[in-house]
Amino acid sequence: MSLLEVRQVSKSFGSLAAVRDVSIAVEKGELRAVIGPNGAGKTTFFNLISGFFPPTAGSIVFDGVDITSTPVHRRVLLGMARTFQITEIFPELSVAENVRISAEVAAGYRLRPWLGRAEAAALRARVDEVLGLTGLAAKADRLVGELAHGDQRAAEIAMALALKPRLLLLDEPTAGMGDQETYEITQLVRRLHRNGNLTIVLIEHDMRVVFHLADRITVLDQGRLLAEGNPREIAANKAVQAAYLGKVA
Amino acid sequence: MTQLLLFNITNGLIIGAFYVLMALGLSLILNLSGIINFAHGGFLAIGGYFAFTLTPYIGFWGALLVAPLLTAVLGLAIERVLIRRLYGRDPLYSLLLTFGLAFIFQDVTRFIWGAQGLPVSVPAFMGQPLSLDFFFITGYRLFMVSVVAVAVTLLFVLLRYTRVGIRIRAGTLDLDTVAALGINVRALRTLNFAVGIFLAGLSGVLAGGQLGLEPTMGDGLLMPSFIAIIVGGVGSLTGTLLGGLLIGVASGVTSVFFPSASEAVMYVMMAAVLLVRPRGLFGEEGMMT
Amino acid sequence: MSVASLPAARRVARRPLALALVWLVLLAAPYWMPFLGGYTALGTRVLVLGLAAMSLNFLLGFTGVLSFGHAAYFGLGAYGAGLALKFLTASTPLALILGTLVGGIAGALLGALIVRRRGVYFAMVTIAFGQVFYYIAFRWSSVTGGDDGLRGFSRQPLHLGAVTVDILGNAEAFYYFVLVCFAIAVALMAFLLRSPFGRTLLAIRENERRARFLGIPVELHIWLAFVISCVFISLAGGLDALLNNFANPHELHYSQSGDLVIMAVMGGMRSFWGPLLGAALFVVLQDYVSSLTTNWMSFIGLLFVVVVLLFPRGLLGFLQRGSDK
Repeated sequence: MSLLEVRQVSKSFGSLAAVRDVSIAVEKGELRAVIGPNGAGKTTFFNLISGFFPPTAGSIVFDGVDITSTPVHRRVLLGMARTFQITEIFPELSVAENVRISAEVAAGYRLRPWLGRAEAAALRARVDEVLGLTGLAAKADRLVGELAHGDQRAAEIAMALALKPRLLLLDEPTAGMGDQETYEITQLVRRLHRNGNLTIVLIEHDMRVVFHLADRITVLDQGRLLAEGNPREIAANKAVQAAYLGKVA
Repeated sequence: MTQLLLFNITNGLIIGAFYVLMALGLSLILNLSGIINFAHGGFLAIGGYFAFTLTPYIGFWGALLVAPLLTAVLGLAIERVLIRRLYGRDPLYSLLLTFGLAFIFQDVTRFIWGAQGLPVSVPAFMGQPLSLDFFFITGYRLFMVSVVAVAVTLLFVLLRYTRVGIRIRAGTLDLDTVAALGINVRALRTLNFAVGIFLAGLSGVLAGGQLGLEPTMGDGLLMPSFIAIIVGGVGSLTGTLLGGLLIGVASGVTSVFFPSASEAVMYVMMAAVLLVRPRGLFGEEGMMT
Repeated sequence: MSVASLPAARRVARRPLALALVWLVLLAAPYWMPFLGGYTALGTRVLVLGLAAMSLNFLLGFTGVLSFGHAAYFGLGAYGAGLALKFLTASTPLALILGTLVGGIAGALLGALIVRRRGVYFAMVTIAFGQVFYYIAFRWSSVTGGDDGLRGFSRQPLHLGAVTVDILGNAEAFYYFVLVCFAIAVALMAFLLRSPFGRTLLAIRENERRARFLGIPVELHIWLAFVISCVFISLAGGLDALLNNFANPHELHYSQSGDLVIMAVMGGMRSFWGPLLGAALFVVLQDYVSSLTTNWMSFIGLLFVVVVLLFPRGLLGFLQRGSDK
């Protein structure tokens, strides 16, 4: 059974059909890239999977459970974490605090008025672990709002990691980054994938990143599923090339 | 009994028309700029007082036109100097600003014109009731409703058919895109604000003729305006229009059966709307929420 | 608010020295106030309004929710406590608890109605609902005394076993009674804000979308914060009624809500003690200005304008920024 099954999902906004009848199945432990020209519906697709809004048609099944009408926060608690194209973090809090909140919710402490000493220690350890994994240990006490773009993105990924997700959705993790930062984020994602028992789906525009990381690639074009396969297959796929070339003004 | 009901429905519509005029101005400003203008009642009072001061020189009809214009100019000045600085910020600050302005207005009007109520004279023919059966329908009330009807029609025409109006409506939906199209958003907001204040000033002139003038006269109208907007739906002027009429009528009808509850019924309606259809009767999901 | 415009906003560290200083000042107030032209009841008033402003700030500054109708719950606490003393009990603490219950329950019910709204719409609705209670306080004059307010009750001396504390006749005794209540309330608030639950509120303030995508059920948590702040503010209201032996309908008007908000903003929304400082400043200013001129309303209005335009981070925010350079 696949970890994530998206079955014939469509989403329309009024007369605008952003996603049309798309189906994918992501296996546990896979790293899937979703690519496509601008306007292909990739972020809308992510929004559907993460529960930002409901699909107009179709269903979404996560680890065998139909989550089509499950609200956002419940999906997160079921093991789905997400990052955004425009980094969504808590700007006026420190990196450690950002991650800590994440870890606390994941541990089920969100309504707790206090924490026992052992629990607090365990939490601290978890936060340190995540910070170590994402290379942010040195910047733990800096305010996230003041960090460089790449570090903010890493912080967001750290927050997602602290949730102990089974599925990680990364929306253009290297958007707006220079070569060095792109490299670092790519290495981070690869590390997380290899070490972490994590299934990752990412949207990317940077083809170097895609071909470097992906086990399988899904190509969307104008809301529809255009092609799917391993990197070699997709690189050789004429229709995919046409879709991208056709968009060049 | 039916006559009594009809009487009260009509009375309610008249009151409602008045709420509409006030609420529309408030709604305009809220929709485009995201600002709750607490000072709206203050502008209303100032409009009335301007009319009072001007009438000896330019007569009732002159004052009817000029006083709201003057009030709008005042509004324009305040928008440019004060309110404009707060657009990018947390809505909290614009709330506090208009709050403070409301205090200042009330005090200043009291300072200039005195705390006592001032009588306002209207043309003689308006003071007469039009019929003995419907004695509450004085010529003045009918006049008021006509003015409101004209103003509202002109407003909707402005918004539907003029370039400025279309820009305002577009701005309500997506101000960023409007700005990206090269339209001067700041001027648009200023103009929109001025129109809203014009309506407030006009309300004040009309209210003065009906209730007399006093510095706190705007207060009692602010809440019904809020409720009209909430009931009708935030973001929709049509909603505000209908909301105002609805609460006016509800208030009027309730005064037949439970006279002391006629004010309360507005709040009950608001609670009901929030429970059943939180976005209001004509509101769009996602407007202001 | 863009990050670029924020100074490095360090949260006021739990500097034990600063904290000790605050409590020292509060404990000694009846003794140093007369030297500055003050009097004990004024200090009590500052405590009461400070608690009210801090309760409001639990919602405003720490959860990021724009509630502008909180004076209504203050008033409910006042009338609740007053009516309890008048008709139900001679025990002052019990009356306080009853007043707090009234405000808390009202907050729970109304909060549930409005918790899905945000921003200015939320503010509008809180104001409108607040006005309902104002209106009831005025109209239901057989119970509430209408425009004249609720009278005919007074705080009763506390019988604590062997000792009787005369909080009725002795202004200092009452001040310390209020201080004890204040201390308990404030300690609870601080406790909650530093808990995992409190951190979820900060998260909601900082970025609601991110909070939701971390698994926080945002509406539920906002409702809880709303109820908590209503409970504390109605406690403040009850204390206010005890202070004056009188419950005033005008204290439910939305202009009073605005006053509470400006106190929080003026002192510093992001800081725990800011609202207390703001309340002190506001009360003193209002007292002073109204003794000088009948146009004190203009000055209060001007204060709003000046704070908003020049000191949006409040006094403590302003000072913090200075210390970070």
